Amino acid sequence: MKRLALQGLLLLSITALPVSALAKADLVIATDAPPKSMNPHAYSSDANLSYMSNFFDGLLQRKVPDGKLVPALATDWERVDSTTWKFTLREGVKFHNGNDFDSADVKFTFTRMKDPKYSKLLNIANSIASIETPDPYTVIFKTEKPVPWFAETMHQNFIVDKESSENRDSGDYNTRPIGTGAYKFVEWVKGSYISMEANPDYWEGAPKYKSVEIRPITEESTRFAALVGKQVDIVNGVPVTLYDKIKTMPHIELISQAARRVIYMDITNKPGTPFEDIRVRQAIAHAINEEQIIEKVMRGQATLAHQVPDVPTVGYDESIKRLSYDPEKAKKLLADAGYPDGFEITIAGPNDRYINDEKICEAVAKYLAKIGLKVSLDVKPKSIFFDEISEFKHHFYLIGWFDGSFDFGRSAEKLLHTPNPDKGMGVYNGTYYSNAEIDKMIIDSSSILDRDERKKALQEINRKSVEDVAWIPLHYQQDIFAVVKGKNIKFTPRSDRWIVVKEIM
Amino acid sequence: MATYIVRRLLQGIIVLLAVSTVCFVMFRYTGDPVLMLAGKYATQAEREQVRQVYGLDRPVHEQYISFIGGVLQGDFGKSYVSQIDALDMILERFPATFELALTAITISFIFGVGLGVVVSVWPRGMVSRSIMAGSLFGISVPTFLIGILLVMFFSVYIELFPSFGRGDTVQVGFWRTGLLTASGWQHIVLPALTLSGYQLAVLVRLTRAGMRETLSEEYIKTARAKGLSPAKVVLKHALRNVMIPVVTITGLSFGELIAFSIVTETIFQWPGMGNLLLTSIFETDQPIIVTYIMLAACIILSINILVDVLYAFLNPRIRYD
Repeated sequence: MKRLALQGLLLLSITALPVSALAKADLVIATDAPPKSMNPHAYSSDANLSYMSNFFDGLLQRKVPDGKLVPALATDWERVDSTTWKFTLREGVKFHNGNDFDSADVKFTFTRMKDPKYSKLLNIANSIASIETPDPYTVIFKTEKPVPWFAETMHQNFIVDKESSENRDSGDYNTRPIGTGAYKFVEWVKGSYISMEANPDYWEGAPKYKSVEIRPITEESTRFAALVGKQVDIVNGVPVTLYDKIKTMPHIELISQAARRVIYMDITNKPGTPFEDIRVRQAIAHAINEEQIIEKVMRGQATLAHQVPDVPTVGYDESIKRLSYDPEKAKKLLADAGYPDGFEITIAGPNDRYINDEKICEAVAKYLAKIGLKVSLDVKPKSIFFDEISEFKHHFYLIGWFDGSFDFGRSAEKLLHTPNPDKGMGVYNGTYYSNAEIDKMIIDSSSILDRDERKKALQEINRKSVEDVAWIPLHYQQDIFAVVKGKNIKFTPRSDRWIVVKEIM
Repeated sequence: MATYIVRRLLQGIIVLLAVSTVCFVMFRYTGDPVLMLAGKYATQAEREQVRQVYGLDRPVHEQYISFIGGVLQGDFGKSYVSQIDALDMILERFPATFELALTAITISFIFGVGLGVVVSVWPRGMVSRSIMAGSLFGISVPTFLIGILLVMFFSVYIELFPSFGRGDTVQVGFWRTGLLTASGWQHIVLPALTLSGYQLAVLVRLTRAGMRETLSEEYIKTARAKGLSPAKVVLKHALRNVMIPVVTITGLSFGELIAFSIVTETIFQWPGMGNLLLTSIFETDQPIIVTYIMLAACIILSINILVDVLYAFLNPRIRYD
């Protein structure tokens, strides 16, 4: 009887043990977006890439705080000619399952990325014409046409293991990542948490925190409660509305920094509409009081934007200035253009995509009404709104953008170039803005090999787009992070919002 | 009897078919999944390629027929977003939702009936009056507000219960349970209270109404006159007769709690089916949404049919034709 009781006790302690072990991760991070898949190519959003960056490495990586492109799985890279890229790979790197990393894995990865069944990074994968692997540590990519930002995307094209990826079924592949990254995957309980453990053999040295848990909490107020209740160590996506309240809490450190995403009003110049006249577009730009939007709608948590690209993007030019707020001048420009009594204008936009998107649209509507336009609002859920954008339904709408490649060339092709489905141009130019001069500048810039020269060409396109009022930049969103004090955590947020745990000290 | 059951089942199948048709037609208007699937830098040609791979270029009726064909073989398709089997994804989350709904329904049953009895026995006391006022509060205040208030008080101010998640879980066979760990119990308290609020209030009022009626019946007076103890009269003679409608309502609402715990799960970041549904709606992940709605319809239908059939057994006078 006594023995039985003892055995029972032992059994109990065994079942209880893993429970208490599970509860203590060295670092718990709460994020505002859950991962969609553990397939590193399944989703192009930064929310998903952020998780993947812990399990996988790209050929290159970007470092905090300025997003500088530095070696990762490749030690060196070179643009040999306008369509040829050569990467020299790092030797002695192993995948988490023990397999060696070499050029066959790189070739396999980029070939797999062309298949829509496995990949949503089709755009960069389809630009590749051929991949050569002269030896295990050299890879040569040839692109279909000049893709000047090819290397700039290499921090987000994560390399998978050829052998295990081929031999596992898609369910396993999509839920259990095997990479070369600083952390090994432990468990993913969907909707709850992802746990990972440090990779002791990581090529950059083992990371500081041994066991880490990332908990997606999509509900703003719940994320706030978790932070205040000290259940998590680091939180991203602190709601703007709660900024002042959290600031007064002694146990929390707030870090606020300009995000990469710009919010802008896209505007058409389609013949036959009032917007055809540049004076009308200028009038609209002069009418919007962006300083007040930042102060009243964004509660100070936004940075004034003079242009669409953000500071680290190739093509940013700090000498470009936005049109100032000047309603009198706006009215005069309207009158000069032949619309002294205004005209009917619809402001479209999403209401569930960007911070305060609907309220910004409302504010813009009020400013435009003040210069005499007859404004109507048309805001709707993003899933419907983005459909309408791709059908060119709106002349004037609010939208946000940032380019994962840190290169204004790609943004210009997608947003500014006259829509041309066959050439893959102007996919997100939903207003059908068209300017032959800008189109030519975009095409010309893509085959410039010299980095500095290309930068100048992109800056020129950027300047021209603001001068011609192809769009009206409003502001860059602000990213707010919170760190619970007392554990001595050194956390520097990245401009792309990725949580790369190996960078947390 | 047998014909009655068969007829009920047939009706159920027709309802399910109707539900699936409505779902399918509705999703033509909730946004194009291809935009999300192809990634934000995709060209028109790449979008068309994706559209073909997922079979979204076919006419609606063809897609519908192949969907129904798949369902009959137990294949609900794969999630667009994660490429994982839709039914598996939902069923994986079923235990969390089931445990939450079960705890909530237990709370509302015990407290609902208990308080209902108290109120009917001492109808004029201050306690009873405040319970009745409270039940009105429970019926009219929306779930999300109750949830947020509970979090503000219990996790932010007095830091008694955690504000989100399910805590530690234990795998028992195919079932991942949170009810076997201390942390699991701590985590379930607030969401279960939130979810039980409305049902609790309804049950209080239902029990009270039934008890008030029964307590004035002749046989209760007889029982009292016989000299039985008041407790025995109330619990054994009166409450038993009140229980039939109360149990029915509880059973029916259990299905609804499982299917519609969406708001509560979102507030508390509970890793259940409702939470998954909401995320999937934002991502236009149609296979998950359709599967979820079908599953919810199935659960509610089967509970309804079960209740109907049980009634027919218990009371042969009941016929639904």
